[in-house]
Amino acid sequence: MTTPVPVEGDLLVILRHSPHGSSWLREGLDAALVAAAFGQSVTLLFMANGVLALAKGQQAGPLGQKGTAATMDMLAMYDIESLFVANDALAEFGLAQQDLMLPAAGLEAEAIAELMAGHRQILTF
Amino acid sequence: MRYGLLVKGAPYSSQAAHSALRFASALLARGHRLERVFFYHDGVFNAARLAAPPQDEPHLYDAWCALNAKHGTQLQVCIAAALRRGMLDAREADRHGKSGHCVEPPFELTGLGQLIDLGQEVDRLVTFAP
Amino acid sequence: MILHILNRPPSTSLVYREALAAMGSTDRLLLIEDGVLGALTSQVRHFQQVGDRLFALREDLVARGLDGQCDASVQVVDVDGFVTLTEEADKTVSWF
Repeated sequence: MTTPVPVEGDLLVILRHSPHGSSWLREGLDAALVAAAFGQSVTLLFMANGVLALAKGQQAGPLGQKGTAATMDMLAMYDIESLFVANDALAEFGLAQQDLMLPAAGLEAEAIAELMAGHRQILTF
Repeated sequence: MRYGLLVKGAPYSSQAAHSALRFASALLARGHRLERVFFYHDGVFNAARLAAPPQDEPHLYDAWCALNAKHGTQLQVCIAAALRRGMLDAREADRHGKSGHCVEPPFELTGLGQLIDLGQEVDRLVTFAP
Repeated sequence: MILHILNRPPSTSLVYREALAAMGSTDRLLLIEDGVLGALTSQVRHFQQVGDRLFALREDLVARGLDGQCDASVQVVDVDGFVTLTEEADKTVSWF
């Protein structure tokens, strides 16, 4: 997939952790939702293990822990539609675009710096 | 310049709080202003008023309080991250029917919106993570 | 210019690759906490592409007894220099 022109915005949230194993992903998504609720233009970048947040078929854990799939479904409701995913990380896990639960634009590694430069604020999770 | 810090590491478990406090004193010494420290993830444990480290170790809780007393730095704790981890102030303890509380001023439980607000307000936001 | 701050050593964590992938051509990288292990002559090859934009926090090297083994290509800064780096950058990004 070709790399689209990186967008600009108020806040870039970089998600690098997979669902369930830690609270980083959930806490990062929460920060993104709150920023969007405050009227900021928010972009999400899924990289490294964070691309697994986009995997289809996620479920609650055995203790009923929710994971993050439901939160991902709420992004559109908060007008967070600028989603990017690192192509190299997708390949690392053998994932393709059709395996993703939400449409996210594939980004080559060289475009990440440009995406970061285009945002006033960056939070990593 | 106006600075804000985001602390995500629990005290004594990682170096995050130590690094943040060192950075805080250095930026203040250079004449900058530290508006607020926001505690998120396991960083919320920095607000535990019952922390009792050995006397020959740095007292991180007292150091945060001193930052507030001397420089007016606000100490804000993400309420959602705090409540999950049992870090309640008197009001939340009462609301949840708990008999004790471990968060007191100068620390305050606030929404995540305060972090977003901080990012807009200051010139530099620096994150210290575990 | 962005100041990237890394607190993980390349010897046990691949997080440094995320930081490197995100760095623009003028961005700087500061190694702190366990990240300073990457500044040692035996480890610094992982950061070759950063060139002269690689920094390490002196007090974290000294506390670990490693200041003598820091590679000459790394610019060692004290905490005051850490603040200066944040002043000179437009924003900072932490990798952990």
